[in-house]
Formats: sequence, C-alpha cells, structure tokens
Amino acid sequence: MADNSGKKILIVEDDQFLRDFYQELLTAEGFTVDTAADGEIALQKIRLGGWNLVLLDIMLPKKDGLHILQDLKVQGPAQPIGPIVVLTNLGHDSVINQAFTLGASGYLIKSALNPDQVLTEINSILSKPL
Amino acid sequence: MSISLLVVVAFLGLFAVFIALFLIQQRKLKDVAGGLVEHNRALTALRVLDRVILTSVRDLDTVVQEIVNIVPQELHYVGAIISLIDEKAGGLRRTAISRTPEIEEILKKVPTPFNQQVIPWSATENIMVAAVKQNTSLVTYHLSDLSYPALSREVGDSIQKRLNVKANVVYPISGSSGILGAIFFSTSKTEKEIFPFEREIMQGFAQEVGIAIENAILYRELQKKTGELANANEKLKQLDKLKDDFVSVASHELRTPMTAIRSYSWMALNKPDIKLSEKMKKYLSRVLISTERLINLVNDMLNVSRIEAGRIEIRPQIFDIGVLVDDVMAEVTPKANEKMVQLEVGKVQLPKIFADPDKVHQVLLNLIGNSLKFTPTDGLIKVNFFSDGKVIEIKVSDNGVGISKEDLSRLFQKFGRLDNSYVAAATSGGTGLGLYISKSLVELMHGTIKASSEGVGKGATFTFSLPIATPEIVAQSEKYTKRPVGEAKVLEPVAI
Repeated sequence: MADNSGKKILIVEDDQFLRDFYQELLTAEGFTVDTAADGEIALQKIRLGGWNLVLLDIMLPKKDGLHILQDLKVQGPAQPIGPIVVLTNLGHDSVINQAFTLGASGYLIKSALNPDQVLTEINSILSKPL
Repeated sequence: MSISLLVVVAFLGLFAVFIALFLIQQRKLKDVAGGLVEHNRALTALRVLDRVILTSVRDLDTVVQEIVNIVPQELHYVGAIISLIDEKAGGLRRTAISRTPEIEEILKKVPTPFNQQVIPWSATENIMVAAVKQNTSLVTYHLSDLSYPALSREVGDSIQKRLNVKANVVYPISGSSGILGAIFFSTSKTEKEIFPFEREIMQGFAQEVGIAIENAILYRELQKKTGELANANEKLKQLDKLKDDFVSVASHELRTPMTAIRSYSWMALNKPDIKLSEKMKKYLSRVLISTERLINLVNDMLNVSRIEAGRIEIRPQIFDIGVLVDDVMAEVTPKANEKMVQLEVGKVQLPKIFADPDKVHQVLLNLIGNSLKFTPTDGLIKVNFFSDGKVIEIKVSDNGVGISKEDLSRLFQKFGRLDNSYVAAATSGGTGLGLYISKSLVELMHGTIKASSEGVGKGATFTFSLPIATPEIVAQSEKYTKRPVGEAKVLEPVAI
C-alpha cells in the first residue's frame, strides 16, 4: 500500500451514507480525510486550501458542484490545492464537459465503480505530476 | 287653297312626327349610351371584386373594407356598408363603410366609432335588420332607415342631403352556413333610374361578398387554431423538458442509495473485519448482484427512453472495427478471467467501416457482455468478421446455454428475456433491455442485427453488420448522420 499519511483529501458529498463510506474507505488507506455535506461549506473548506485532492459531488444542496468550480475561478484557495475530481452519478457528457472547462481534473461515476476501482482511480490521479 | 293648306298642315304634322320620332330616338340612344357606361363600370367593379375574393384568405376586416371601397371607386355610387351578424352582441355589427372623403367627413362628427355600432335585432325599423330577418333585398329612399336607431331620423336626413343620396338598396349576404349579414348600397340615382342589370350586379356583389367573408372567417379561425397549436406545442415542449428533468433527477436519486448499498455490501464481502460464514457470503453477494442489476436497469431504462425520444446523436466516422473489438476485449478480460471463459478474436485484414464508434462500442459491450452472462466456466466466446465489400459482419458467438427456436423471435424486444433457454434473470444479471438497445443503435447506423442458435445447450451467435466506408457511402455522410431531437444525450455506460 502506498504511504498516504499526511495526504489530505476533502470529500464533498451530501448523502450521509456515501460520505461516511468514502471517508472510511480512504481513512483505511491512510489518508487524512475531511468532509463537507453542502456546497457552501465545501466552498469555504476548499478555499482554506491545503488539500491533496478534492472529491466533489455535482448535485449538492445550497450550491452545486459546477457553481463551486465557477466561484473558485473568481476567488481561488488561500493555499495551493491538488486536483479537484468530480464524483458524480450524473453520466451526462455536458455536465462532465462543463466541469472540465471549469477546472476539474477528472471524474468518477459513483454507480459505475466498485470501491477498489475508486481507490485505483484516486491513487492514479495522485501519482500524476501536477 | 284648302287643299294646299291641308297639304301644308299634313306636311307640318308629318314633320312634327318626324321631330318627335327623332327626339325619342335621341333619348333612346342616350339611354343606351348611359347604360353602356354603367355596364362598363359594373364589369370593372366585378373584376376588382373578383381580385379581392381571390385573395380573401386573410384578415376579415381588411377584406370587407376593400369590398365596400370598390362600390364608390368602380360603380361610382355614393357608398356601401357591410354589417355582419354578431350573435354575442345580439344584432348586426357595422363592419365596414366605403372610405370616401365625403363619408370620412361625416364619420368624424358621429360620436360612436363606426365599427362599434351594433344594430339590435329588436330594431325592426332598420332596413338592414329587416333584410336579414326576411332574407330579401329591400329598397328605400330614406337613408335614415339605415342609420336608425343609432342616429336620429333628422340626422339621417341631413346626411342623405349632404351626400345627395336618392336611393338605397340592401341585399342579405349568404354563406354556406346561412345568412352572414347584409350589404347596403347608396346611390345618387332615383330608384327608377337604377338599371335592372345594376340590381343584378348588386345581388352578385352580395353573393361574392358571402364567399369572401366565409374565406376570411375560415382564415381567422385557422389563424386562431394555428395560434392554439403553437401554444399547445410550446406547453408540450415545456412538459417534455420537465419530464426530462424529472427522469434525470429521479435516476440520480435512485442511484445514490443504490450506490450506497452496492458500496457497503462490497465492503462487507471483500473487506470484512470478521470471518464470514459461507451463508453470509452467499447472502451478501446476492445483495451485491441484485443492486448491480438495479443500477444497470436504471441505466438501460434511461438509454431506452433517450433512444425512443430520438435524443441520441449518430456521428459516423471512418474507423477500424478490429481495433475497437480489441479494446472491448481488453475491457471484458477481467470479467472473463473471473468466470474462466476464454476470449478469441479472428484475425483478418478488414476495410474500415462508417459508423459511430461510441455506439458500436456500446453494442459490442452489450453482445459480449451477454455471451459472458450465458456462457459457463471453461466456455469460449469468439468474435469473427466477414465482408462482402459493402458491409462488414461482426459475429459474436459462444458455446453457452443457447436459445430455443421459439425464443429467437422475441430476443430483441424490450424485456424480451426468455424463459426457456436463458437462465433465470436473477443469476444472469441482465436487464432484458440490452439487445433491444443494441438493435436500435445498429439500425440507427443503417446496419442489421440477428441472432441464431442451434438450440438449447448449443451456444448462440449474434451477428450485426455495418457499412464499409466506401467512397460512395462516405459521400452520403448526411444520410448516415442522425441529429438529435432537442438536446443530445449520451448513453449511460454498459455494465458487464
């Protein structure tokens, strides 16, 4: 297992069970994990900066994922952050393309991947040089 | 002397008779000449009227106004008025009056705007009401018979004087549905001076006006209906959008809890913190398989609805089908290894095809995924190609459970899963929609798809064909392209 200690991941997910699940999955892999359950808290936490990776849901209460990406273009994080990866159940090209245009580095379709595949994807994204 | 006087008297008498005859002849000639002028005017008026009738499929008010304007312009009468039945207002509504400078001058002094005047059915003294009620033509000297009761008799008389009106004729206007209203002519001739043919012309006018009005009414109704249809269409579009949004949100909402079930049952099965009993493993794996099936079902139902709504776009490209098959084989290899099923691809030199690679990818995944579902451990799945120079046939065959003859025809229907030959749905993990989706996509790309099997237990072969990218085919690129109805939607991924 790669040494993930000291790597900070922010999970933005409104569904409590899924949020808990990803937190447990990634914590077990040695990551330091924080979560946000709605768009406003997510934006605040992303702007604090210092994340190695942000997993961002699209459909969120208060502010959706695409709006968060837009707002980040106007005012970025206080400290540099790693890639923002869209974690979604929306398989629509248009949404995914919009997310890429707004600065997302990748996307994971939740329902199409089992947990092992999610970890594989995350590790491969983190191993890519920025 | 008396004889010569008699001769003179007789001569004078004869002369007088000649003079009288001459005068009578003169008068007759004058009459005929006058009649010719009027004949000529009438013919011109009818020609102009015909032109208006021919173009009467338009706004009613404009048509009626043009008709009453012909009367002073071409017949040289003082003017004409058309009133039409207005059931809601309970009488005849004055619809149009000839717009001559003299009439305009008078209209300025009348308090109620002309086309807002309604003559109630109770006003039986009014000559237009009388003509409509009796369905007959009427003649009067008094212009006030027309304007009463909207204007007093005195005012009517003074207008008559100003306009120099000596006779008025009314004709009812009839259409195919009955009487529509009446047309009123005012002239400076006395009733006796009106030639019989002029009366015929007026009657003809009334008949043709009926046709023009009916056309214009039909046109107005058509306009109204067109407007209503446009509105209904707009509403349907909005509803369609709402439905789309609903389906999109609902499928997202469905997939969220299903993803949670899938994730937790996978975790319980693969990363348990206690040793699982065989029973527990079986139960959990069934929860997992069923959830995956549910997710696939939601995806396939979304795909079917997008295909059926025409939301799927086909953008053909020239590409190598062999390379795409190799990609798909690489994708399904982990699953095949898990099931210990062997994969084999026939190697031949192939011409390039003209189709939408994403959609062909979806079809291949569906067919190979299907074979994987129905081929037991140690089975074999083969992909082979055949070409006749026009199309390439892609043959996916397996040595799995096979299909009975009677089931072959139902295969490509929605939820056409088979009771006889294919194993029960629960263990196959299929959705019953994959083959329907594959058929739809292949046909959108101008290809065909078929299935064959020697029978139960003897394996199955699925063959689909796609056009080769010959110059003739590529030149018809437009025919092979399909634009989406509304916003283009992508297909949800196929799970294998």
